[in-house]
Amino acid sequence: MTPAPDRLGTTLVRIGRALPELARVSVSRHVAYRAELTLWILTSLLPLVMLAVWSTVTEQAVIAGYGQTEVARYFVATLIVRQLTGAWVVWELGFLIRSGRLNTELLRPFPPLVVQATWMITALPFRLAVLSPIVAALVWWRPDLLAFPGWTALGLTAVSLALAWALNFLVQVCFGMLAFWFDRSDGLFELWTSLWFLLSGYVAPMAFFPDAWRGWLDWLPFRATLGTPVELLGGFSDPSRVGLDLFRQAAWVVVAFVLARVLWTRGLARYGAFGS
Amino acid sequence: MISVRDLTKVYTVPIKQPGLWGSLRSLVDRTTRDVVAVDGITFEVPEGQRVGFLGPNGAGKTTTLKMLTGLLHPTAGTCEVLGYRPKERATDFLRQVTLVMGQKQQLLWDLPPRETFALNRAVYGLTRTAWSDALDELVDLLDLAEVIDRPTRNLSLGQRMRAELCAALLHRPRVLFLDEPTIGLDVEVQALVRRFVRTYADRHGATVVLTSHDMADVAAIVDRVLLIGGGRLGFDGTLPTLSQTFGEGRRLEVRGADTDLGGIGLSRDDAGTWFVSGTAEAVNRALSAVLQAAPNADVTVTDPPLEEVLRRAFRAQGQAETPS
Repeated sequence: MTPAPDRLGTTLVRIGRALPELARVSVSRHVAYRAELTLWILTSLLPLVMLAVWSTVTEQAVIAGYGQTEVARYFVATLIVRQLTGAWVVWELGFLIRSGRLNTELLRPFPPLVVQATWMITALPFRLAVLSPIVAALVWWRPDLLAFPGWTALGLTAVSLALAWALNFLVQVCFGMLAFWFDRSDGLFELWTSLWFLLSGYVAPMAFFPDAWRGWLDWLPFRATLGTPVELLGGFSDPSRVGLDLFRQAAWVVVAFVLARVLWTRGLARYGAFGS
Repeated sequence: MISVRDLTKVYTVPIKQPGLWGSLRSLVDRTTRDVVAVDGITFEVPEGQRVGFLGPNGAGKTTTLKMLTGLLHPTAGTCEVLGYRPKERATDFLRQVTLVMGQKQQLLWDLPPRETFALNRAVYGLTRTAWSDALDELVDLLDLAEVIDRPTRNLSLGQRMRAELCAALLHRPRVLFLDEPTIGLDVEVQALVRRFVRTYADRHGATVVLTSHDMADVAAIVDRVLLIGGGRLGFDGTLPTLSQTFGEGRRLEVRGADTDLGGIGLSRDDAGTWFVSGTAEAVNRALSAVLQAAPNADVTVTDPPLEEVLRRAFRAQGQAETPS
């Protein structure tokens, strides 16, 4: 008798049941690695540097509707969104594959990427804990930096943040899985990161690009990982385009998910399982 | 239980010429060669049997184990374990097998082993009762009570290995794949691990497939030996049969004989001890003759060490001489 294959519904129920314990153990790991995590979080404070740079620039002239106040609001929003959408699965996967530590994960009857996702999502409260005093100090200094955008905008921001997190995670998964084929897959991710810095809205608002460029830049995945939720949180979004922006984010999540599935299936077929 | 047919694994490995020119050339002209790690092996293992998979380094033992657990996809041939094709990694398959690799760990480094055990309860979908029963049994068998709540990084190698075994068996697998489970451990912990594997397998009727460099593991744990060399299976049988087949070093010694035993093929050393060495069959024939010719003599028959038997077996198969 051939054993029955796994069913999607059963698998999802099983994952759901395991998540609380998985989350608890993940939090214990973050507590154990709290110093490393804090340093990691503090390395993502580039938006504060960009705030200083663009504040100086916009002191002379308003650019694309951004004066000093708008620039400050934009980069505080960037700081928050960056912390809430960050992941490091590309390095984890690369290490697991190259060292053979993926073997342990593959021997468990549980999707390894769900373990990784849980680990990274449970880091969010720690990220918020480190971020809160910084944001509080900024808002105390300039109360207009973080205006309440309204409940609808806040709800849409939450949806956009979730999609941006998922896209960041899945893009990193795709690059991480290139370690099945290349020894130095990290280098390819560095290439992505270089483009991401320029085209996601991280070092400059997307509004600073010429209109002719925006037409196609907005369709690339970079803005969907950061710029879209930043613009929503900072109150810069054009209400008539929010639906389209969210659609682009969701579409890229689907594309990245499908690509990750293909890479996972093909990668496992050629996995050498060396090391442990 | 385990059914393997013409199982083959070929690795494609890149070849780079030495030096800067070689590095530059490899960028545009990537040369590879195929290495056959496992070459069409076929065997069956019935439920509850304990099998030792032996061969020199690079013989294909670990590659076979990795294919049987689904970590590696075969290049050709098929393998089934408990009716499942391992490479499909079906949940119910993974719930019934385990792979323990010596010195490699699933324990969370900065947390106590209990946290890894709790994680495994969740990912294997064990009920609290089943988990608790299994944990109590394993903690007792592996003498883990003292270490279960100390951070893994603070444990000795032996303690970690025992905790690894506990983590690997909490779900009470029906099939245990053990790859060098005692490597690097001190003698006392090695003995504990061997005792534990036997007890677990006896108690739960588990099937065991073992590779080891330590012949004491093989002698203590397995019922059947599969020799593999150059990716191909050679000898397949019990340990006594292996000794009989390749055990030319069996030696018969006779002391205090009151008659000349030279006529039945024995030689005499300077101390006056009569002796003969040879295959188990030859020595048994000589023993019968000695017992008739000198019934009151002090007779000793010694088997060659298992390492020696395996060296001969590998040599007979045309393989290197380091048993593993």
